Amino acid sequence: MPAELTQEQSPGNQTSLAMMQEPQEMVEETVTVEEDPGTPTSHVSIVTSEDGTTRRTETKVTKMVKTVTTRTVRQVPLGPDGLPVLDGSSPLGSYTDSIDRRYLKNGERYLPPQASSTLTRSYNSYGEGPDGPYRSFHTHDASGGYGGAELPDGYGSLSRGIGYRPRYAYVPGNTYRPEDGSYTLPSRREAYGPPGAQPQVPPVGSGPDLTVSSRSQPERFQPEPYGLEDDNRSLGVDDEGYELDPDYSTVNRRLPVGVPERSRPHKGRAYDEPSESEMIDERIPYIHGGYAAPLAQPERGSMASIDRLGKRSPSIDSIRKDPRWRDPDLPEVIAMLSHPIDPVKSNAAAYLQHLCYENDKIKKDVRHLKGIAILVGLLDHPKAEVHRRACGALRNISYGRDHENKVAIKGCDGIPALIRLLRKTSDMEVRELITGTLWNLSSYEPLKMVIINHGLQTLTNEVIVPHSGWESEPNEDSKPRDAEWTTVFKNTSGCLRNVSSDGAEARRRLRECDGLVDALLHALQSAIGKKDTDNKSVENCVCIMRNLSYHVHKEVPGADKYQEPEASQAASTGALPRRKKDDASCFGSKKAKGKKNGGMDRNFDTLDLPKRSESAKGFELLYQPEVVRLYLSILTESQNFNTLEAAAGALQNLSAGTWMQTTREKEPPHSWGILSKATLPQGALQPGSGVFSPGTPGDLTRAGPCMRCTFMDRVCVGPLTGPLRPGLVVWVPTWASVCVDPYYRGRSYAMAELVRNLPSRQQRTAKNLEEDTVVAVLNTIHEIITDSAENARSLVQTQGIQKLVGISKSSQSMREMKAASHVLQMVWSYKELRGALQKDGWNKSHFQSAVSSTPKGSKGTPGKAGYDDSTLPLVEKTHDNERCGSRDMIPMDELGPDGYSTIDHRERKYRAGDPSGDASEKEPLKTDPARKPPHRSNRASVNLVDGRDPKPPPVDSWV
Amino acid sequence: MSYVPGQPVTAVVQRVEIHKLRQGENLILGFSIGGGIDQDPAQNPFSEDKTDKVNGWDMTMVTHDQARKRLTKRSEEVVRLLVTRQGLQKAVQQSMLA
Repeated sequence: MPAELTQEQSPGNQTSLAMMQEPQEMVEETVTVEEDPGTPTSHVSIVTSEDGTTRRTETKVTKMVKTVTTRTVRQVPLGPDGLPVLDGSSPLGSYTDSIDRRYLKNGERYLPPQASSTLTRSYNSYGEGPDGPYRSFHTHDASGGYGGAELPDGYGSLSRGIGYRPRYAYVPGNTYRPEDGSYTLPSRREAYGPPGAQPQVPPVGSGPDLTVSSRSQPERFQPEPYGLEDDNRSLGVDDEGYELDPDYSTVNRRLPVGVPERSRPHKGRAYDEPSESEMIDERIPYIHGGYAAPLAQPERGSMASIDRLGKRSPSIDSIRKDPRWRDPDLPEVIAMLSHPIDPVKSNAAAYLQHLCYENDKIKKDVRHLKGIAILVGLLDHPKAEVHRRACGALRNISYGRDHENKVAIKGCDGIPALIRLLRKTSDMEVRELITGTLWNLSSYEPLKMVIINHGLQTLTNEVIVPHSGWESEPNEDSKPRDAEWTTVFKNTSGCLRNVSSDGAEARRRLRECDGLVDALLHALQSAIGKKDTDNKSVENCVCIMRNLSYHVHKEVPGADKYQEPEASQAASTGALPRRKKDDASCFGSKKAKGKKNGGMDRNFDTLDLPKRSESAKGFELLYQPEVVRLYLSILTESQNFNTLEAAAGALQNLSAGTWMQTTREKEPPHSWGILSKATLPQGALQPGSGVFSPGTPGDLTRAGPCMRCTFMDRVCVGPLTGPLRPGLVVWVPTWASVCVDPYYRGRSYAMAELVRNLPSRQQRTAKNLEEDTVVAVLNTIHEIITDSAENARSLVQTQGIQKLVGISKSSQSMREMKAASHVLQMVWSYKELRGALQKDGWNKSHFQSAVSSTPKGSKGTPGKAGYDDSTLPLVEKTHDNERCGSRDMIPMDELGPDGYSTIDHRERKYRAGDPSGDASEKEPLKTDPARKPPHRSNRASVNLVDGRDPKPPPVDSWV
Repeated sequence: MSYVPGQPVTAVVQRVEIHKLRQGENLILGFSIGGGIDQDPAQNPFSEDKTDKVNGWDMTMVTHDQARKRLTKRSEEVVRLLVTRQGLQKAVQQSMLA
């Protein structure tokens, strides 16, 4: 049951990641629909492009399952006469009664309760239907027919051209055949009013439950087999006709030649007062070839009648070849939802699900026919089969951009009913259907809060927590569990993703929802640990995290402490900051991280940090340092564009806001933003936690050449006291531009701004930039000029060389020197620039710095030595290569301990001297000074990390 | 034989079918591959053969690791490659000229 995923992004929610001053919530809405199993599955994706237009692509994939509905036939005991045995109260009769009650207002009820038909027909005299007065008419008027152009839309299940005819040949095998043989399908000459249909079910000709055997009073109806089992109808080929043909009646039935109907005039039966204007807007003449095909005629209100005439009485054999059953039309199906016999209900619901598949009109009609309320009512049905099918139908109905259907489901308390069922059932399929429905519903803004109110905690408890693997009270002995990327989890996370975009109150509710944030983070850690970061569930989780991170600095309790840097400095008196400050371990609780955190703990265990007396939990986790690491890992691991964007957005949300002073570069066309002088809330970053650890700029080359994002740089160096002011410098390209501009040819625009931010000797004190910031800027420049002679040229032109040389020769900071000389080396590697450089008075010695021979790590803090050499933007690439060469030999358990950072373990591994890691990891800068920067050169080859390792050969893998 | 990743390439190709060997759990092909869009072509010592397709998958725009995975898929016993090399290209050109 492949899901259909639809993504809708409301333009209003789309934000440029570069909008740093006022970071906007980045929300996405996702709508899924999983269609019913009995229909061709298709994948539909709707992506809202930036202008807000929506494009929709659809791919028919395959048709899947056949819904067999004939079961009920066999379940109905037949009396000696072949009719279903009816008990005293006659279920069928009571069915009729119920139909009567439901649909009949003014109509006379002249049917005996023993009526055996399962279908309600109102052939005559519509007085006033629920929807208004209908002109009454008599359907048994043999001359009555539908005039071609007068035909209103029918509600049958499928339009059948005669071309589809042969398909039915095999169907009737197990359907009921009435003895008298007159099961010719009644043609639908008669018009049936909309919901005011009045059931008239004679006891005659009873058939199987599903058999339409009703007849209008004056006429005798013959039961006829019609096949819900004919699921092949829903083949994709039909769907085209389906779309084109407004006729929704179930079967275009070919009438036997010579059958009286054929001569019947198809005169319009004057529907003067269509109850629904939309019901007639697609009237078309319905004439198929030489067939009268009355059944297929669009019928207004689609209380299609079944031809009840015994005129056509083909033999059973001929039925087999030329079956004259027909599908029930929509009102019939909906009526069957209230059938006393459960299998009928479930079959009707299943059929409805099938009908609604990809058919917005049917969905609308179901709504108009009040079918949604009945379906919602069935959710509480004790029989699994019934509520499952009802749920399936609701899922399909809830799908689509017609919000009316969603509102209708909500209107009859469908949301609490779904939640109720979710609590009750353990059936996976039902749970998938429920959560899928909720996902669909959650795409409509006004319903989000309703879902939160009714279902948030249930969804969390029933789905998110158990499937995430997180345990709030972990058994010490038990191994931490990994997340299970089930459909249920995917649906639920999608639903929560949608509702999380519903503003501050929604965010508050989600943040405070017990266990939600913990479970989501656990799931994400698990994803990273498993290197399974591309799936939809992860995307949903990251999106939720991003949304919950939005304005977290303003909205969490104690947020006021972060409003001012001073306040945050003094925040040790504040409740939240203090707690954070005392929190020594990183990602909070052991329970949340399990063994995955082991690596990180090890990283920092040399620090003399107080033990966390109270681990961060719930929303506090949203702004713990570990979460930043988590996002960075996702940024380097995932290839899912939406996930990447969400992780970047989450970082942005964390780094933006008034708790940090942010400055933003004037937006160039492609909108880079620089966050600098960022201060994080006290305690959000622990001393030594190394959030943006040196040298972990993410180079998203793994995501393919078209996605590259430079994430710079660290916030904290060394033991920190007070606010973490310096230098969160985050480069966030506008993601849209990443797509448009795959290779970032345009990134030189930022050069001038970057160079301006570099200190010259005079400026140093004036600008008072932190070392981290400077290094970050230098690394950014390096990143920008890598692979781009163009950009390197712009660096030269902006007089950046002077500053760089100044830094590389005389900076107080070894890290700055190193970073600057790396940039210079890169510049020098562009031969074509050397002329210009030499003209400016530079020579090779300026670019060949001795820094690379400087022992590294001099600045490292105890816990961070592993990072210290990685001030370069290319480390990720390096690791990537390393992995290419050697990952296969690495036992997984070696990778296991660090669930947070893929960087960590690689670093460790590397440092442990993994030879194959070494081989590809380091490469002296000047290996090939003559190389031209190609679109994508070997980024490993420009690894500037100290140049300590000689000559790594390019990767090649033994396959 | 330069090309822009993602753009169609016209090349003379040779079909190669390789039945993999089983080595423990893995299926191996018995040679090594180099390159990938994440690699520096100048550093690639094996520049003779270019693999354009593996079992129908376009390999002109994959990273090294992706290529490796694709080639060593355990579910596929046989890989069918379309490979090309400069020499092949030239030979064909010459024969067409001649």
